[in-house]
Amino acid sequence: MNDGTGADQDMNMNAAAAAAIIAEADARARPVLRPDHRVTFLVWGAIWFLGDGLMWLAVRGQHPYHGPNPGGYAALVLLTVLVALASIAQSRAESGVRGLSVVRRWAFSLSALAGLGGAFLVEGALVHAGASRPVVGVFEAVAPLLVIGLLYLARFSAELDWAVAGLGLWLVLVAAVGAYAGPQNVWAVATLAVGPAFVLVAALEHRRQRA
Amino acid sequence: MSPGELDPVIHTPARLRIVVTLAALRDGDDLSFTGLQELTELTPGNLITHLRKLEEAGYVATQKNGSGVTARTSVALTDSGRKALENYTTVLRRLLDSASPN
Repeated sequence: MNDGTGADQDMNMNAAAAAAIIAEADARARPVLRPDHRVTFLVWGAIWFLGDGLMWLAVRGQHPYHGPNPGGYAALVLLTVLVALASIAQSRAESGVRGLSVVRRWAFSLSALAGLGGAFLVEGALVHAGASRPVVGVFEAVAPLLVIGLLYLARFSAELDWAVAGLGLWLVLVAAVGAYAGPQNVWAVATLAVGPAFVLVAALEHRRQRA
Repeated sequence: MSPGELDPVIHTPARLRIVVTLAALRDGDDLSFTGLQELTELTPGNLITHLRKLEEAGYVATQKNGSGVTARTSVALTDSGRKALENYTTVLRRLLDSASPN
């Protein structure tokens, strides 16, 4: 730990030393104070790919369709726990930071939770109203895409981030088109269309940061 | 201070480290005193001394919330602090360019 002997010590440091301090301090602070969105999009891409892929494997070839088995749901719960743990690790890494970006992240997470919770309740209502298992199956595949897609579009309206707008629009489109593929193939459509879209946005973010 | 001179308020290793660290925050964010201390590796006393100098120059703003053991001091770079760092790096780049053999 630097225990300087006076506030104005080393006033005569040279330009090269100052440049080195700037580079070192920036490299140390930036990863802690500014979470890398490229990593976030890549992680989410992997999560969507795995989640949708597992559900697809769980339901494909079912005749008649009866929905994912308990193993499929257990895998989804495991993924959700991993996401929660990753979020906690990220917020701990940034401990000490407070302000607008933290509020925004919490608002986004809580909105997603509210939206997904609402979709879950609607699914219960559909079952209660006598909807067939295939109809419920289509709904449970596309509802998360619609919720998260609309959240990204809402984020676009606040931040005018065009990559996020494209992602939100894409998720809504995949939900709408995928719904026509039926309760089994909708998972295949989501597996192939959603995860890679997140990876593409990570690549765009990478290009933007390097520009 | 003339336009071609390095800002003496920033031009010390400790204060330069503090200002660069705070500049990494996103707009609208601030950093706790302990968070800043961890990132700059300064002792609490030393950090307070340097923060006071930066605050007197209008480059950082500190805010104390709560009282007693729950008190939290947060620090953020002001607009003029951000501008001062930009000017500092511009002058520094010019100095480095003029010193290079090419």
